[in-house]
Order: sequence, then C-alpha cells, then structure tokens
Amino acid sequence: MGKTIKQIAIYGKGGIGKSTTTSNISAALSKLGYKVMQFGCDPKADSTNTLRRGTYIPTVLDTLREKNQVKPEDVIFKGFNGVYCVEAGGPAPGVGCAGRGIITAVQLLKQLKVYDELELDVVIYDVLGDVVCGGFAVPIREGIAQHVFTVSSADFMAIYAANNLFKGIKKYSNSGGALLGGLIANSINAPYAKDIVDDFVERTATRVVEYIPRSVTVTQAELQGKTTVEAAPDSEQAKIYARLAQKVVDTTESKTPSPLEISQLREWAAKWADQLLALETGEVRGTAAGI
Amino acid sequence: MANLTERPRHTCALGGAIATASALPGTIPVLHAPPGCASNTTWTQAGGCGLQLGGYCGGLSMPGTNMQEREVVFGGSERLQELIKNAQTVMEGDLYFVLTSCVAEVIGDDIGAIVKPFQDEGIPVIYAETGGFKGNSYTGYDLTLQSLWENFIPAAAERVPEKVNLWGIPPFFDAFWRGNLEGLRQLLRRLGLTVNTFFTAEDTLAGIREAGSASLNILVSDGYGTGAAELSRQKHGIPYVVSPLPIGPAASDEFLRSVGAALGLDRQRVETVIGEENRRYYRYLDTFVDCYNDMDLQRYAAVAGDANYAPAVTRFLADDLGWLPEVVAVSDVLTEEQERAIRQRLEKLSSGLRPKVYFTPDTSEIRRCVKEHWTTEAGAKYANKLTPAFVVGSSLERELAKDLQAGHLSVSFPVSNRAILDRGYTGYRGGLRLIEDLIGVIAVNR
Ligand SMILES: Nc1ncnc2c1ncn2[C@@H]1O[C@H](COP(=O)(O)OP(=O)(O)O)[C@@H](O)[C@H]1O
Ligand SMILES: [Mg+2]
Repeated sequence: MGKTIKQIAIYGKGGIGKSTTTSNISAALSKLGYKVMQFGCDPKADSTNTLRRGTYIPTVLDTLREKNQVKPEDVIFKGFNGVYCVEAGGPAPGVGCAGRGIITAVQLLKQLKVYDELELDVVIYDVLGDVVCGGFAVPIREGIAQHVFTVSSADFMAIYAANNLFKGIKKYSNSGGALLGGLIANSINAPYAKDIVDDFVERTATRVVEYIPRSVTVTQAELQGKTTVEAAPDSEQAKIYARLAQKVVDTTESKTPSPLEISQLREWAAKWADQLLALETGEVRGTAAGI
Repeated sequence: MANLTERPRHTCALGGAIATASALPGTIPVLHAPPGCASNTTWTQAGGCGLQLGGYCGGLSMPGTNMQEREVVFGGSERLQELIKNAQTVMEGDLYFVLTSCVAEVIGDDIGAIVKPFQDEGIPVIYAETGGFKGNSYTGYDLTLQSLWENFIPAAAERVPEKVNLWGIPPFFDAFWRGNLEGLRQLLRRLGLTVNTFFTAEDTLAGIREAGSASLNILVSDGYGTGAAELSRQKHGIPYVVSPLPIGPAASDEFLRSVGAALGLDRQRVETVIGEENRRYYRYLDTFVDCYNDMDLQRYAAVAGDANYAPAVTRFLADDLGWLPEVVAVSDVLTEEQERAIRQRLEKLSSGLRPKVYFTPDTSEIRRCVKEHWTTEAGAKYANKLTPAFVVGSSLERELAKDLQAGHLSVSFPVSNRAILDRGYTGYRGGLRLIEDLIGVIAVNR
C-alpha cells in the first residue's frame, strides 16, 4: 500500500461551473507539486477538456464498449502539467443507463489499481450533481471519496441541487460515506449573491470554501482550450483558484450538513425573492446590478 | 464466438454466488433481488447438481427482498434493511450473506451503507456484489470468495507454517464438490498439513475466519477462484499455487510435489506419501487388469466438461487408465491466457496422445465437433474406426453418446442422471472411483 490518497468529489447542478472549477483546482494543485487525477463522471464527458487543449479523450465506457478488457493506458491521459485525465462517459442520450455507467467506470478504475502505481496524491471526481439515481452517488460511497464539495451560484435551482446533495450525504453519513467539505460559490458578483449563499450555508451548517467571481478571463481561457490557471496564471481569477485549491486539499475534516426540508427551502427562497424585489424597485439598484 | 449458445452449462453470476454462499457452514444467503432469481437458480441446481439442492435456508427457502417496481423506482435500501432484520428473527445463522442481483446493481443501491449499521451492532452480515450480468456461475463463485477474503477474514498477525487453504472447486456447479475437497484434504493431511476447505461438513465459520493465518493458498483450477487468490495475496500476503484438478495418480503425484515445493517441505516426506499412495492405488488395480485386458475395456474417448474437469479427466484417461482420448471440448468461455494454460497441459500428456481441443459452451457445437472428428477419422483410408467409444461429459452429452453408440458418464455440470452425496474423483482414491464408475457403465448389462 502506498500513501493515503486524498479523494474528493465535486457535485453541482449541470452548467454551474463544476468542470471549470474542478479543472482549475487540478491545474493549481499540479503547480503546487501534487500528483492529481481528474475523473469526469458526467455522461457529457467534457470535464477534462480545458486540461487538454479543448480536446476530448476516449471515455472508459466507450473503450469498454469496444473491448472486453480495458488497460490503464486506454483511458488515462496526461493533461496540463501532468494532471491525469479520465472521463467515465456514458451511453448515447436517451438510451441505456448512465447511472450504472458511472458505477461500472468507477469500479473499473478502482480494479485497475492504478492509483497507487501512479503515486497519486489527489483524485478529484467531477460529478453531474442532479443525483438522479444511485449511480451518481457512487463517488461518495465508502471507500471512494472522503470529502464532497458542491459548486453553487446564488440561483435558486443551483441551491436546490446543493440542498438535495446534502440530503444524500446526510443519509449515508452514519455508514462510512463521504462528508461535506463545503460549498464553492461560483459566479458571485452581486453583493446580494454573496448574502444569499452565506445565508444558505448558515442554515445548512456548512461553510463557503471560496467565492469565485464570474470573470471573462475564464471565458477567454476556455476559448483557448485552457484553464484559467494555465492561460492567465497571473490573473486575479487564477489566484482565487489557487487559494481554493489549497483550501480543498487542506480539508481534513468534513461534516454532516443539515439540509432544509422542501417547505423550509421554499419559504427561505420566497423571503429572498421579496428582498430582491425590494432591491429591484428600490434605490439600491445601481450597486446590485454590478456584473 | 457464435452469437448464440445452445444449452449452456452456466447460470448467471448470482446463481454461482447463491450456491457458494449456501454451501458455507452456518451461512444464510440473503437475496436482494426481484422474484425469479432464487427459483431460477434453484431449479437449475435441481437439474444439474446430482440431486443436491437447498439445505437449511437455501434453495426456495432463501430470504429475498422480492424487489418490485416500487423498489426499482424508489430504491430498495429500506426493503433490504427490513429483510436483514427479519431474517435474523426467523432464520438461525452465524453469518448473513447479502447477494445482489442485476436489478439491485442497476439502480445502484448502496449495500455497503445498508449493512454497516448491522455490522456496527456486531451482527454478522457481509455482502457481495453479484449482479447476474457480471458473468457466469464461476464468476459468482469467485466474487463470493473475494467478499469472504475482503470482509470476513481478517489479516493475521502471524502465519502458521503448515497451514493451507484450498479452493477452486465450486460448490454445486461441481456436483462432486464435497467429495473432491475431502479427497484433496485427506491427501494434504497426509503431508502433515492443516487444511481449510471452506465448504465441507468439517469446516466451520470460526475456522474460515482464521484462514488469514495460512502460509499458502492452493487453487486447484485454471479458471475458478483466481480473483480470490489474487486478493488474498495482496490483502493478506498469502502466496498461492495453481494446480489442475488432480484426478488419479499421475496428477496427484504432481499436485503433492508442487504443494511440497511451495511450502518448502522436506522432499523425502512428500515422496514417502506419494510412494504409499501409489502402492495402494496399484494394489487395487492388480486384480482388475486381467479383466481390463481380456474384456477389451479400453475405449476411444471424447471428453466434454468445464475448465476443471475436461483437462483433468483427459489426463487421467490418457496417462493413468490407458484410454485414448480423441477430442476434448472445454465448455467454458475463458480468457486467452486461461485457454493457453489448458492447451499446454493437454500438449504434454505423458502417454504422448494429442487430443484435439475445442473451447465452446454450446452443446450442439460440442456434439458437432466430436462427431465431425469421429466421421473424418472413420472415413479415411486405412481408417481407424474409433470404436468402441466412450463419452465422459455432462448429462447434456447423452445424445452425442447415442450418436457414437458409446458409453456415457456424466461428471461435469449438469449432472442430472446421478445422485451424488460424498463421492469425489480427486486424488488417488478418486481415480479408483472414476474407474469404477466408467467401467460400471460398460459392464452394466453383463
Ligand atoms: N467563474 C466563471 N466565470 C465565467 N464563466 C464561467 C465561470 N464558471 C463557469 N463558467 C462557464 O460556464 C459554462 C459551464 O461551465 P462548466 O464548468 O462546463 O459547468 P458544469 O461542469 O457544471 O456543467 C462554461 O462555459 C464555463 O466557462
Ligand atoms: Mg461538466
């Protein structure tokens, strides 16, 4: 047995910025000298694109479809600064069972026993966060990830997805599953956005790990097929990602969150809607709109 | 490989797992499955395991979650939790072994999380992920053993020098499992070894729990249980030797020598046992050879069987009994490596015979391959008619035997035309037993 590997899962609603954030964390950790693997667990299979100049890699499930036996080199590819990239992949939209696909892919990688061989320090699972079935919960089961982070903006739908994830974590918290390291607040520019997220984490007994502003630097980097850490290493945004990466890897104790009941969540959202409406119509409008 | 297998000789992985778990001492299999899994595998066993079936809380009395659409949609965790709880109140077991079906694994129920609270309370529950789609009955056997090594057998602080574990003979799917395990255990004990065999009447859960202190794992199979051997090597640091299933003196001599070498036993001690066993074996043959010769009891043989039996029986017939195996059909789907291992074994028969070897799980295909060989040989100029013939296979070779007007003995799964209790074919004594059974078929109408 080698050293203990830090295994982390990052969840969140589709399109919220999981892959962008995860890839920047991976890139930043690699620059700090960690050996990192990023494992995309989204049938979209685009998690690692910005670590590999915008290219797609063959997925575990596509490889498995062609062959009975999969070798590590068939599915593990080096990206920016030596970050190992893996994509679980999935069936074509509308057919098969994507959830089972995630189980198969994660188990297969585990069976290949490459984590020790590659002397990894950190494995990060980037997982589609609308945990629609058992398969998408596999990365947070006992023996896989120890810490879960969720990426959320101040949008109600993103918070709703985060709250659902908290429910899943709580359910298995007594049976050895992963616990919550915190919430990564993405696309936070307006002051009220920060307030909303802060209020939510307080209610659910967790913390905000980092506030990440929405930034055009991210878009520019993405258009070059790169992470912000790679394309604009000296930018303010890259510094934020580096800070986040350090906090993520330093997390040793995660906690059981206290998710809100659906009625509580609705009430909570309604209260914020009223306040936002007041902002819209009131004189504070100018500061609130700062994008 | 063909797209279709006619009359295959396997169940799904769950079938093998059920058979394996229910063969463990004091163990209650707990099925997380929709209706049908238990009964399908039970009736398969009824049709192929020499009239051995069930046992306490096995077969149709095995507890199961009986998953319905409701469990598929909403998850089956609660149902399984309830079942584990209830099974303990109505079924007396020392170990509850949860086995998952395809359905449970597709919806992704987290079995580890369900059993953990029970384990934390000190209740002996373990589980194996044995969704049918993982493979055939032999895969299920391996997965169940892997779970035992992973979840039940702790790594021991110290190795006991002359203690070994033996496996590679899958319960029920080798209908002679108990006799075969006992036969080899008896031999190994003659070397002075302590032997854990998991599944015989003498084995206990307490003994199995201490399997981690063994110095060697002995796998008598080129294909079954390899994963468990690998796992135990990695997790418990126990090395393993692989041997073909030893039937009769030639293979048993080799078996004992390879175990002796792996354990670094005194060679003289091993040779003494081999000498004594051979003496005994041939003393029995002394009074048989005259009849064997005078009554023309030599046969051309076709052997069809699983990866254990096909090569083992062939070698016995060719190198010990003096029969003439012409065709061997191995009825398993194997990896290239496993196929190569079996081929190599059959290429170095000391009798110098070189039977044709086929790999196919399809009963009609086996029949076709054998018949083709028989007719080509018989039709050739200066033809050797290949009669009289004998088919050693499974019950599915009955038609083939009829085609060749040959004698027929079922040895490999399915064995539906024999009742098997403690009979076994392993070791020197097993060889004698096999001779009795083979010749018994020929002599039956005298
Ligand atoms: N902080 C940010 N600033 C600017 N654009 C962002 C930021 N975070 C995410 N994006 C953009 O949002 C889009 C979706 O992000 P992505 O990481 O693919 O989401 P997910 O993986 O959650 O589906 C991408 O085009 C990405 O560039
Ligand atoms: Mg993504």
